[in-house]
Amino acid sequence: MNSITGFDRKERPFDPMPKPTSPSEEGGGPKRPEPGSPDKDNLLKRMRKVDPKQAERYRQRTGQ
Amino acid sequence: MRLFGIETEYGITRDDLEIVDPVVESMELVRAHLTGSFEKTWDYSGEDPHEDARGFRVPGLQQDQEEEEFAKVDALRPFSFHEMKSDLVLPNGARFYNDHTHPEYSTPECRTLRDLVAYDRAGERTLHQAAQRRNRTLGGPHVQLYKNNTDFHGHSYGCHDNYLVSRSIPFTALVAGLVPFLVSRQLIAGAGKVGVEAQDGGFKAGRYQLSQRADFMETELSVDTMHNRPILNTRDEPHADRAKYRRLHLIIGDANMCEYATALKVGTTRLVLDLIERGAAPQWELENSVAAVKTLSRDADLKAVVRRNGGGTVSGLELQEAYWSAADKALAGSDEDTDWTLREWARTLTLLSGDRSQLVGRLDWVTKLWLLETFAREEHVGWDDPWLASLDLEYHNIDPDRGLFFGLENDGTVFRLTTDADIQRAMTVGPCDTRGGIRGLCVRRFREQIQSIQWERVQFTGGLLPKTLDMSDLFEPAEVQELSAVLENASSPADALKAWGRRKEHLQ
Repeated sequence: MNSITGFDRKERPFDPMPKPTSPSEEGGGPKRPEPGSPDKDNLLKRMRKVDPKQAERYRQRTGQ
Repeated sequence: MRLFGIETEYGITRDDLEIVDPVVESMELVRAHLTGSFEKTWDYSGEDPHEDARGFRVPGLQQDQEEEEFAKVDALRPFSFHEMKSDLVLPNGARFYNDHTHPEYSTPECRTLRDLVAYDRAGERTLHQAAQRRNRTLGGPHVQLYKNNTDFHGHSYGCHDNYLVSRSIPFTALVAGLVPFLVSRQLIAGAGKVGVEAQDGGFKAGRYQLSQRADFMETELSVDTMHNRPILNTRDEPHADRAKYRRLHLIIGDANMCEYATALKVGTTRLVLDLIERGAAPQWELENSVAAVKTLSRDADLKAVVRRNGGGTVSGLELQEAYWSAADKALAGSDEDTDWTLREWARTLTLLSGDRSQLVGRLDWVTKLWLLETFAREEHVGWDDPWLASLDLEYHNIDPDRGLFFGLENDGTVFRLTTDADIQRAMTVGPCDTRGGIRGLCVRRFREQIQSIQWERVQFTGGLLPKTLDMSDLFEPAEVQELSAVLENASSPADALKAWGRRKEHLQ
């Protein structure tokens, strides 16, 4: 079994991908949410608006 | 050779009618993109899904009994095949059309992961804009679109990733090298799903799993896509010079909302194809790959193991680590995308077996699970509560004011690989280094003179002789950029084709 624990050795001097565009980019990485506590004023409000029966009504035809 | 693209079928709903006809709604949605009338220009002559890469041709494709019944109704519709499909080629070289009952967006061919993610996101915005226009006509937000793969009643629709590969690689080598990787790819690219379902078996609430599509994988190899779906699709439809190329058409993947997951899905698959080409792919054989896909998907703790041929077991993480290790050894330093993929692949696998919370906003199945667990705690609901399946669905709603993923993105919780400016640009022009960009340029410059268009060629009107731009072997970036300059400077397609013909003669 091969291990990946040495992946830090492979850090390159550049990153072809742009950095995150959120305000957190100044901190060198994406904002890491606190597990178990989505923003209660925004996200939970949005989740509570979802009709509990929505998936039961959702019907599609088979695609590919 | 690096060239890839993603085709995504979207779920569509309309809430102001008792009975919704998805064929008509998908047609109307695509047509809503247009400011003028629909012109039939898509050329279907390059499409033949009956050719099998294993060296034979199937007489027909399978569909289930329900679709057989729908097909009888479809045959009586008062519009033609062209009208039903409503194919559009967008100024960015993408294809936007009604794939029978789902609006589908296919990115233009991309050469870099950054482009791929930007063009995939451009598709989300293009479809959302079409929905907004459609809803203005309907007088309210009645039409909603979902970038997911299931309706929680046993109906699945796809997100296919495609790769140009050399035909010199035996198909058997692709199968041997890819299947164990694809079985375990869901650990990094699964979109997450509440419940378990089957095409003929309905839906059972409860268990959370990594993948939306795993339940619908029924065989290891098949040319079919709507029934008896395979881990590795054998359709031989290269959309390129058949003597030189294959188009690997993978239908096992989920539609990702996280940019990071999209990039990892395609980046890692590309590396595995490179390994196969070099004869350096890990040699794993699973006893039952189809069962393994489901076993791994249904274990969010990532502890499950699957049986290897010849004895012994292996976990999904171990499979992924073996592929990462082989890729790191053989491919590190090849190019920027390779190194980004190797680094982020390793980081992801490490976090999956450690602090998984750091993958929220990067991997869809982890992000969705985190949302649902939080909600279930807050609202005191169990996994069998239908509300959780509804939240699962709404995670994929592409309306930024409603979708749960976009709620996270608005909060800055999601890892971005693109900027909004990147996406805006990707909606208006194609990649500068692939034929997808040429296709888009033809649409922007010479729309009125296009007689027919498809992946491999563009045919222009005018004159007695056909004027065809053949792109079946146009894959070198320098050649693409040269042709692009010719098209930009020509006063007509005829002038462009003459100049391009002279240039090619000179090169020969």
